[in-house]
Amino acid sequence: MRTDIVKTYKDIHSWVGIIAGLALFIAFYAGAITMFEDPLNRWASAPTSITPAPSLARTPELVDKVLRAHPEARAAYTVNFDVGPEMPARVSWTKGNRRVPGPTWLASLASDGSLQVVQQQASPVANFIDVLHEQIGLPFPHNVSMPIMGVISLLYAVAIISGVICLLPSLVKDLFALRFSRNVKRMWLDLHNVLGLFSLPFHIIMAVTAVIFAFHDEIYTAQGAVQQIGAPKLERPARPDRNAPPPALEAVTGTLPPLELQRRIAQQAPGFRLHTLTYEYNAKEGRHGAIAGYDPRYGTRAPVYGLGEIDTRTGAITGADYMPGRQDAWFATVTSFFALHFGSFGGTPVRWSYFVLGLAGAFLFYSGNLLWIESRRKKERKSGAVMQTRATRILGALTVGVPLGCVAGISLTIAAAKWLPPTSPDLPAWHGRIYYCVFLAAIVWALVRGAARSGASLLWVAAAATAAIPVSSFASTLLGTGWSDNGATQLVDAVALVGTAGFVVMARAAHNRARHGPRDSVWAITAAATT
Amino acid sequence: MNRHDLTSRDWFGKASAATILGFTLTLALTCTFGWLFRTGDSYFSAQGQVAMWLVAPIWCAILGLCFLFRSGPRAWGWLALANIAAWALYAAIRLIGS
Repeated sequence: MRTDIVKTYKDIHSWVGIIAGLALFIAFYAGAITMFEDPLNRWASAPTSITPAPSLARTPELVDKVLRAHPEARAAYTVNFDVGPEMPARVSWTKGNRRVPGPTWLASLASDGSLQVVQQQASPVANFIDVLHEQIGLPFPHNVSMPIMGVISLLYAVAIISGVICLLPSLVKDLFALRFSRNVKRMWLDLHNVLGLFSLPFHIIMAVTAVIFAFHDEIYTAQGAVQQIGAPKLERPARPDRNAPPPALEAVTGTLPPLELQRRIAQQAPGFRLHTLTYEYNAKEGRHGAIAGYDPRYGTRAPVYGLGEIDTRTGAITGADYMPGRQDAWFATVTSFFALHFGSFGGTPVRWSYFVLGLAGAFLFYSGNLLWIESRRKKERKSGAVMQTRATRILGALTVGVPLGCVAGISLTIAAAKWLPPTSPDLPAWHGRIYYCVFLAAIVWALVRGAARSGASLLWVAAAATAAIPVSSFASTLLGTGWSDNGATQLVDAVALVGTAGFVVMARAAHNRARHGPRDSVWAITAAATT
Repeated sequence: MNRHDLTSRDWFGKASAATILGFTLTLALTCTFGWLFRTGDSYFSAQGQVAMWLVAPIWCAILGLCFLFRSGPRAWGWLALANIAAWALYAAIRLIGS
């Protein structure tokens, strides 16, 4: 290949990488954690005072009492088939929706058969991390963060293409050569190349889907405007009116009980495991229902579940556009884009691979920044600058401060879930405050102390913050202020312990390099001290 | 150094062409696709969604490869020509289809 093309793309790759790298680190690290949103929700959610859920057979009695006592539940109430710490009630209803979560109420039957209703106190921490991932860590409102995230995704796509182009000529030569020699920079470059190339399909998927997630509304509007020139107007379906007066009791009764509906759905869609069934009513459509569930043989549209529509009086599936295994080729194609981004196919093994690929991706951006700084330093040195320029120093500090601040902030805000009062309505704001305080403090610390000195200490902070997760589990249960339940939540503690060990190893390595590594490196303490 | 050697210096002209004209080109191509396979029964038809998703790979490819143009003005010129062709195709399909 022509050398000028390779050289051009090498420049492009470094520049887009350096602009997008730090934001992408946050997106990937937080995104990797969202792979285990459910276990994290279980770990972080306080047990409620609600009576254990009645059996499905007894649920009609509960539903009847809810509909009489709480008219606001009539427009939409959900029967939960999987009951656990993050959703402890058989019947629930909410004032919010996916984009704007609102308070959710849980209903159960007390031992004397009377209705019991409490407000849900599910921990918002997993959702906080999910939003952090979507907005590349920006604390702005959704409509401000998303376009920025979209631009970052476009740069990410350019970084992928340019990276592949500049790797192509030396592909065969360099691919299997991991040179762990004295040349540390060579080793980092080899690691960066191998990691980037082997996770290339994953990165292509992430870049393409992220562009759509960011610019979804704008693209729709533009395409809609073009298609509507001289064509009959397409009506966008109206959002259900959450403020409409509650329907009359007679309007929402006469539906089949959950057990019977479950049986009829199973007949029509064998292998589909029902997760929730929502009985809905509006003036236009009357009684109808929405179902969510999972079929391990197919990918799902939502991160965890596929969706369908049913007639709640007959159990007939009326809408299967988003239902695993029941979609036509077009809808299955659309679902595959979502499933490929969410890792919502193939069950647990795929989730774990996505978790690992996400962490590897975060590491890829970190190593990319590192390479940029080192080669820039070399260039400066050649042109006579003995001291590091301010730009290199700041970028070195940010390369340490942003990722490690993000890691420590996420770990601490997760750990805080077991210490913050679960009844506080201010909980999401508190998780934000904790995260951003740690994040900003790490950046300031890195800028003040320089990359070399802060690198090791911030890695120790990250290790300690991550260790705070299992320690919180243990200590808060011991002190009686927290809670613990077995199963999935121990997974969270175990993963945090492994993470802690990893950060300790890295902290020791960073410490060694700062003391005994090449003197003229950004990571050497002496070099940092001379500036 | 050859006069036609590529460099990364004149990135702005190329990148801006790929961002703006690349998007309108993508819009023409995906709208053509959407119109050919339209069902027209609902707003969120699967075909419409696939047409929406196609924007990302096409636009990203144009953005990534635009640096192969010899200069900024050439990028604007070629992409403008491609736009005219794509929009003409779209208009033709709409006229035949209606």
